[in-house]
Amino acid sequence: MSKEVELDCMGEACPVPLIKCEKALEGMDVGDVLICQIDHSCAMKNVPEWAREQGHNVEIEEVDDGEWEVIIEKVK
Amino acid sequence: MGDQPQTANSEGGIRRSTRTRTRKKKKNQIPLGILAFLLIVAIGIILSLTVGNNVALFWLLGSVFGFILQRSRFCFTASMRDPYLTGGTNLTKAVLTAFAVTTIGFAAIKYGAFTRGLPIPGQSYVVPISLATAVGAFMFGIGMVIAGGCASGTLMRVGEGFGMQILSLFFFIVGSLLGAAHFGWWKLNFIVRGPSVFLPDVFGWVGAVIVQLFIIALLWIAADKWAKRKNVSDGH
Repeated sequence: MSKEVELDCMGEACPVPLIKCEKALEGMDVGDVLICQIDHSCAMKNVPEWAREQGHNVEIEEVDDGEWEVIIEKVK
Repeated sequence: MGDQPQTANSEGGIRRSTRTRTRKKKKNQIPLGILAFLLIVAIGIILSLTVGNNVALFWLLGSVFGFILQRSRFCFTASMRDPYLTGGTNLTKAVLTAFAVTTIGFAAIKYGAFTRGLPIPGQSYVVPISLATAVGAFMFGIGMVIAGGCASGTLMRVGEGFGMQILSLFFFIVGSLLGAAHFGWWKLNFIVRGPSVFLPDVFGWVGAVIVQLFIIALLWIAADKWAKRKNVSDGH
Protein backbone atom coordinates (compact mmCIF):
# COMPACT_ATOMS: atom_id res chain seq x y z
CA MET A 1 0.00 0.00 0.00
CA SER A 2 1.54 3.24 -1.04
CA LYS A 3 1.51 6.04 1.42
CA GLU A 4 0.63 9.65 1.09
CA VAL A 5 2.67 12.42 2.65
CA GLU A 6 1.54 15.96 3.15
CA LEU A 7 4.10 18.68 3.25
CA ASP A 8 3.17 22.10 4.55
CA CYS A 9 5.15 24.81 2.78
CA MET A 10 2.72 27.63 3.40
CA GLY A 11 4.48 30.95 3.76
CA GLU A 12 7.78 29.59 2.50
CA ALA A 13 9.45 31.50 -0.30
CA CYS A 14 11.28 29.61 -2.98
CA PRO A 15 13.58 27.79 -3.00
CA VAL A 16 12.51 26.42 0.40
CA PRO A 17 9.48 24.42 -0.87
CA LEU A 18 11.64 22.83 -3.54
CA ILE A 19 14.33 21.75 -1.07
CA LYS A 20 11.67 20.41 1.30
CA CYS A 21 10.07 18.40 -1.49
CA GLU A 22 13.44 17.07 -2.56
CA LYS A 23 14.23 15.93 0.99
CA ALA A 24 10.76 14.46 1.50
CA LEU A 25 10.85 12.53 -1.77
CA GLU A 26 14.24 11.05 -0.95
CA GLY A 27 12.76 9.23 2.03
CA MET A 28 9.78 7.88 0.14
CA ASP A 29 9.23 4.72 -1.86
CA VAL A 30 8.30 4.40 -5.50
CA GLY A 31 4.55 4.80 -5.87
CA ASP A 32 4.18 7.03 -2.82
CA VAL A 33 2.47 10.36 -3.25
CA LEU A 34 3.70 13.66 -1.89
CA ILE A 35 1.27 16.53 -1.52
CA CYS A 36 3.06 19.81 -1.15
CA GLN A 37 0.97 22.78 -0.07
CA ILE A 38 2.37 26.07 -1.23
CA ASP A 39 1.27 29.68 -1.47
CA HIS A 40 4.28 31.10 -3.24
CA SER A 41 3.61 31.65 -6.92
CA CYS A 42 7.21 31.09 -7.89
CA ALA A 43 7.36 27.73 -6.13
CA MET A 44 4.18 26.80 -7.97
CA LYS A 45 6.26 26.95 -11.12
CA ASN A 46 9.62 25.56 -10.09
CA VAL A 47 8.49 22.65 -7.92
CA PRO A 48 6.43 21.00 -10.69
CA GLU A 49 9.09 21.79 -13.26
CA TRP A 50 11.79 20.20 -11.15
CA ALA A 51 9.67 17.14 -10.35
CA ARG A 52 8.75 16.59 -13.99
CA GLU A 53 12.38 16.88 -14.97
CA GLN A 54 13.14 14.17 -12.43
CA GLY A 55 10.57 12.01 -14.19
CA HIS A 56 7.84 11.97 -11.54
CA ASN A 57 4.13 12.33 -12.20
CA VAL A 58 2.97 15.78 -11.22
CA GLU A 59 -0.36 17.49 -10.85
CA ILE A 60 -1.17 20.98 -9.67
CA GLU A 61 -4.40 21.91 -8.02
CA GLU A 62 -5.34 25.43 -7.03
CA VAL A 63 -7.18 24.82 -3.79
CA ASP A 64 -7.86 28.46 -3.05
CA ASP A 65 -6.92 31.86 -4.43
CA GLY A 66 -3.15 31.84 -4.39
CA GLU A 67 -2.86 28.48 -2.65
CA TRP A 68 -1.83 25.38 -4.50
CA GLU A 69 -1.25 21.72 -3.91
CA VAL A 70 1.45 20.12 -5.95
CA ILE A 71 0.82 16.39 -6.07
CA ILE A 72 3.89 14.37 -6.88
CA GLU A 73 3.89 10.63 -7.42
CA LYS A 74 7.32 9.15 -7.01
CA VAL A 75 8.13 7.10 -10.05
CA LYS A 76 11.75 6.15 -9.58
CA MET B 1 -15.93 22.92 -9.76
CA GLY B 2 -18.66 23.12 -7.18
CA ASP B 3 -18.54 23.80 -3.49
CA GLN B 4 -19.52 20.27 -2.61
CA PRO B 5 -16.91 17.89 -1.27
CA GLN B 6 -14.82 16.43 -4.00
CA THR B 7 -12.45 13.54 -3.92
CA ALA B 8 -9.20 13.88 -5.70
CA ASN B 9 -9.78 10.49 -7.27
CA SER B 10 -12.36 11.95 -9.55
CA GLU B 11 -9.77 14.14 -11.18
CA GLY B 12 -7.93 11.31 -12.84
CA GLY B 13 -4.18 11.01 -13.02
CA ILE B 14 -2.49 10.43 -9.70
CA ARG B 15 -4.61 8.50 -7.24
CA ARG B 16 -4.87 10.09 -3.86
CA SER B 17 -6.03 7.65 -1.26
CA THR B 18 -8.23 8.82 1.51
CA ARG B 19 -8.56 12.50 1.31
CA THR B 20 -11.80 14.27 0.79
CA ARG B 21 -11.74 17.98 0.92
CA THR B 22 -14.17 20.79 0.75
CA ARG B 23 -13.27 23.49 -1.62
CA LYS B 24 -14.26 27.05 -1.28
CA LYS B 25 -16.18 28.33 -4.23
CA LYS B 26 -13.87 30.47 -6.27
CA LYS B 27 -14.75 34.06 -6.70
CA ASN B 28 -14.85 35.35 -10.21
CA GLN B 29 -11.94 37.77 -10.40
CA ILE B 30 -12.63 39.20 -13.83
CA PRO B 31 -14.79 42.15 -12.64
CA LEU B 32 -12.03 43.06 -10.19
CA GLY B 33 -9.48 42.81 -12.99
CA ILE B 34 -11.49 45.12 -15.23
CA LEU B 35 -11.89 47.54 -12.32
CA ALA B 36 -8.13 47.51 -11.65
CA PHE B 37 -7.43 48.05 -15.35
CA LEU B 38 -9.80 51.04 -15.52
CA LEU B 39 -8.25 52.43 -12.35
CA ILE B 40 -4.74 52.17 -13.83
CA VAL B 41 -5.87 53.94 -17.00
CA ALA B 42 -7.70 56.63 -15.00
CA ILE B 43 -4.70 57.29 -12.77
CA GLY B 44 -2.54 57.45 -15.91
CA ILE B 45 -4.81 60.11 -17.43
CA ILE B 46 -4.94 62.08 -14.18
CA LEU B 47 -1.13 61.94 -13.90
CA SER B 48 -0.62 63.15 -17.46
CA LEU B 49 -3.03 66.05 -16.93
CA THR B 50 -1.69 67.13 -13.53
CA VAL B 51 1.96 66.11 -13.20
CA GLY B 52 3.15 65.55 -16.74
CA ASN B 53 3.34 63.05 -19.56
CA ASN B 54 6.59 61.49 -18.40
CA VAL B 55 5.20 60.51 -15.01
CA ALA B 56 2.12 59.05 -16.68
CA LEU B 57 4.36 57.04 -18.99
CA PHE B 58 6.39 55.74 -16.03
CA TRP B 59 3.15 54.75 -14.32
CA LEU B 60 1.90 52.83 -17.34
CA LEU B 61 5.25 51.15 -18.06
CA GLY B 62 5.57 50.16 -14.39
CA SER B 63 2.09 48.67 -14.35
CA VAL B 64 2.65 46.77 -17.58
CA PHE B 65 6.05 45.54 -16.45
CA GLY B 66 4.58 44.28 -13.19
CA PHE B 67 1.76 42.54 -15.02
CA ILE B 68 4.12 40.76 -17.40
CA LEU B 69 6.47 39.82 -14.56
CA GLN B 70 3.62 38.32 -12.56
CA ARG B 71 2.00 36.43 -15.41
CA SER B 72 5.22 35.09 -16.85
CA ARG B 73 6.71 34.17 -13.45
CA PHE B 74 9.91 35.60 -14.77
CA CYS B 75 12.41 35.40 -11.93
CA PHE B 76 15.97 36.64 -12.11
CA THR B 77 16.76 34.94 -8.83
CA ALA B 78 15.67 31.55 -10.09
CA SER B 79 17.58 32.08 -13.32
CA MET B 80 20.80 32.29 -11.32
CA ARG B 81 19.91 29.83 -8.58
CA ASP B 82 18.16 26.92 -10.29
CA PRO B 83 21.08 25.81 -12.46
CA TYR B 84 22.90 24.96 -9.25
CA LEU B 85 19.90 23.85 -7.21
CA THR B 86 17.91 21.74 -9.65
CA GLY B 87 19.86 21.80 -12.87
CA GLY B 88 16.97 23.52 -14.60
CA THR B 89 18.03 26.35 -16.87
CA ASN B 90 14.77 27.31 -18.58
CA LEU B 91 14.64 30.65 -16.74
CA THR B 92 18.34 31.20 -17.32
CA LYS B 93 17.76 30.85 -21.02
CA ALA B 94 14.72 33.13 -20.81
CA VAL B 95 16.80 35.83 -19.10
CA LEU B 96 19.56 35.46 -21.68
CA THR B 97 17.00 35.77 -24.46
CA ALA B 98 15.68 38.94 -22.82
CA PHE B 99 19.24 40.27 -22.66
CA ALA B 100 19.70 39.55 -26.35
CA VAL B 101 16.49 41.40 -27.23
CA THR B 102 17.38 44.40 -25.07
CA THR B 103 20.91 44.44 -26.51
CA ILE B 104 19.45 45.08 -29.94
CA GLY B 105 16.87 47.53 -28.60
CA PHE B 106 19.31 49.59 -26.54
CA ALA B 107 21.87 49.61 -29.33
CA ALA B 108 19.20 50.94 -31.68
CA ILE B 109 18.18 53.71 -29.26
CA LYS B 110 21.77 54.71 -28.55
CA TYR B 111 22.88 54.51 -32.16
CA GLY B 112 19.84 56.57 -33.20
CA ALA B 113 20.85 59.34 -30.82
CA PHE B 114 24.50 59.03 -31.87
CA THR B 115 23.85 59.44 -35.62
CA ARG B 116 21.65 62.48 -35.02
CA GLY B 117 24.39 64.07 -32.94
CA LEU B 118 22.27 63.98 -29.79
CA PRO B 119 23.72 63.02 -26.41
CA ILE B 120 23.55 59.23 -26.12
CA PRO B 121 20.97 58.33 -23.46
CA GLY B 122 21.87 56.13 -20.52
CA GLN B 123 25.62 56.74 -20.67
CA SER B 124 25.71 57.42 -16.93
CA TYR B 125 25.16 53.67 -16.52
CA VAL B 126 28.49 52.92 -18.16
CA VAL B 127 30.35 52.58 -14.90
CA PRO B 128 33.81 51.27 -14.03
CA ILE B 129 34.22 47.54 -13.57
CA SER B 130 36.60 46.09 -11.03
CA LEU B 131 36.80 43.42 -8.38
CA ALA B 132 34.19 45.47 -6.51
CA THR B 133 31.66 44.60 -9.23
CA ALA B 134 32.22 40.88 -8.72
CA VAL B 135 32.17 41.12 -4.92
CA GLY B 136 29.00 43.21 -5.01
CA ALA B 137 27.33 40.82 -7.43
CA PHE B 138 28.20 37.87 -5.21
CA MET B 139 26.75 39.59 -2.14
CA PHE B 140 23.62 40.55 -4.06
CA GLY B 141 23.26 36.93 -5.15
CA ILE B 142 23.37 35.65 -1.58
CA GLY B 143 20.89 38.33 -0.53
CA MET B 144 18.38 37.65 -3.27
CA VAL B 145 18.34 33.90 -2.72
CA ILE B 146 17.75 34.36 1.03
CA ALA B 147 15.11 37.04 0.45
CA GLY B 148 13.40 34.83 -2.12
CA GLY B 149 13.61 37.33 -4.92
CA CYS B 150 15.50 40.17 -6.47
CA ALA B 151 14.13 43.70 -6.44
CA SER B 152 11.49 43.23 -9.13
CA GLY B 153 10.50 39.77 -7.90
CA THR B 154 10.09 41.01 -4.34
CA LEU B 155 7.88 43.89 -5.46
CA MET B 156 5.78 41.59 -7.59
CA ARG B 157 5.21 39.10 -4.78
CA VAL B 158 4.35 41.79 -2.28
CA GLY B 159 1.67 42.78 -4.79
CA GLU B 160 0.48 39.18 -4.84
CA GLY B 161 0.09 39.34 -1.09
CA PHE B 162 2.94 37.09 -0.05
CA GLY B 163 3.50 38.14 3.55
CA MET B 164 7.09 37.14 4.12
CA GLN B 165 8.36 39.32 1.34
CA ILE B 166 6.79 42.44 2.82
CA LEU B 167 9.63 41.96 5.30
CA SER B 168 12.06 41.65 2.38
CA LEU B 169 10.65 44.84 0.90
CA PHE B 170 11.08 46.71 4.18
CA PHE B 171 14.74 45.77 4.50
CA PHE B 172 15.24 46.24 0.79
CA ILE B 173 14.20 49.87 1.33
CA VAL B 174 16.34 50.20 4.47
CA GLY B 175 19.34 48.78 2.59
CA SER B 176 18.78 50.97 -0.45
CA LEU B 177 18.58 54.11 1.69
CA LEU B 178 21.76 53.17 3.58
CA GLY B 179 23.48 52.35 0.31
CA ALA B 180 22.41 55.63 -1.26
CA ALA B 181 23.57 57.58 1.79
CA HIS B 182 27.05 56.02 1.71
CA PHE B 183 27.36 55.68 -2.03
CA GLY B 184 29.73 58.63 -2.36
CA TRP B 185 32.32 57.00 -0.14
CA TRP B 186 32.14 53.66 -1.98
CA LYS B 187 32.33 55.40 -5.31
CA LEU B 188 35.40 57.37 -4.30
CA ASN B 189 37.26 54.47 -2.69
CA PHE B 190 36.25 51.44 -4.74
CA ILE B 191 34.08 52.04 -7.76
CA VAL B 192 36.14 54.59 -9.70
CA ARG B 193 39.25 52.43 -9.45
CA GLY B 194 38.52 50.47 -12.55
CA PRO B 195 38.22 50.99 -16.26
CA SER B 196 34.79 51.84 -17.62
CA VAL B 197 34.15 50.19 -20.93
CA PHE B 198 31.56 51.22 -23.48
CA LEU B 199 31.62 48.41 -26.01
CA PRO B 200 30.92 50.54 -29.13
CA ASP B 201 34.10 52.53 -28.29
CA VAL B 202 36.09 49.30 -28.54
CA PHE B 203 34.41 47.30 -31.29
CA GLY B 204 32.37 49.91 -33.14
CA TRP B 205 28.57 49.87 -33.06
CA VAL B 206 27.97 46.79 -35.18
CA GLY B 207 30.90 44.96 -33.61
CA ALA B 208 29.64 45.68 -30.11
CA VAL B 209 26.22 44.22 -30.87
CA ILE B 210 27.77 41.16 -32.52
CA VAL B 211 30.25 40.57 -29.69
CA GLN B 212 27.57 40.91 -27.03
CA LEU B 213 25.10 38.66 -28.86
CA PHE B 214 27.89 36.13 -29.40
CA ILE B 215 28.69 36.04 -25.68
CA ILE B 216 25.00 35.70 -24.83
CA ALA B 217 24.68 32.88 -27.36
CA LEU B 218 27.65 31.08 -25.78
CA LEU B 219 26.08 31.41 -22.35
CA TRP B 220 22.76 30.17 -23.75
CA ILE B 221 24.43 27.08 -25.20
CA ALA B 222 26.30 26.51 -21.95
CA ALA B 223 23.02 26.75 -20.01
CA ASP B 224 21.38 24.30 -22.38
CA LYS B 225 24.23 21.81 -22.10
CA TRP B 226 24.32 22.24 -18.32
CA ALA B 227 20.64 21.28 -17.99
CA LYS B 228 21.13 18.17 -20.11
CA ARG B 229 24.29 17.11 -18.29
CA LYS B 230 22.66 17.61 -14.90
CA ASN B 231 19.67 15.49 -15.86
CA VAL B 232 21.84 12.72 -17.23
CA SER B 233 23.93 12.58 -14.08
CA ASP B 234 20.78 12.58 -11.94
CA GLY B 235 19.55 9.54 -13.80
CA HIS B 236 22.31 7.34 -12.43
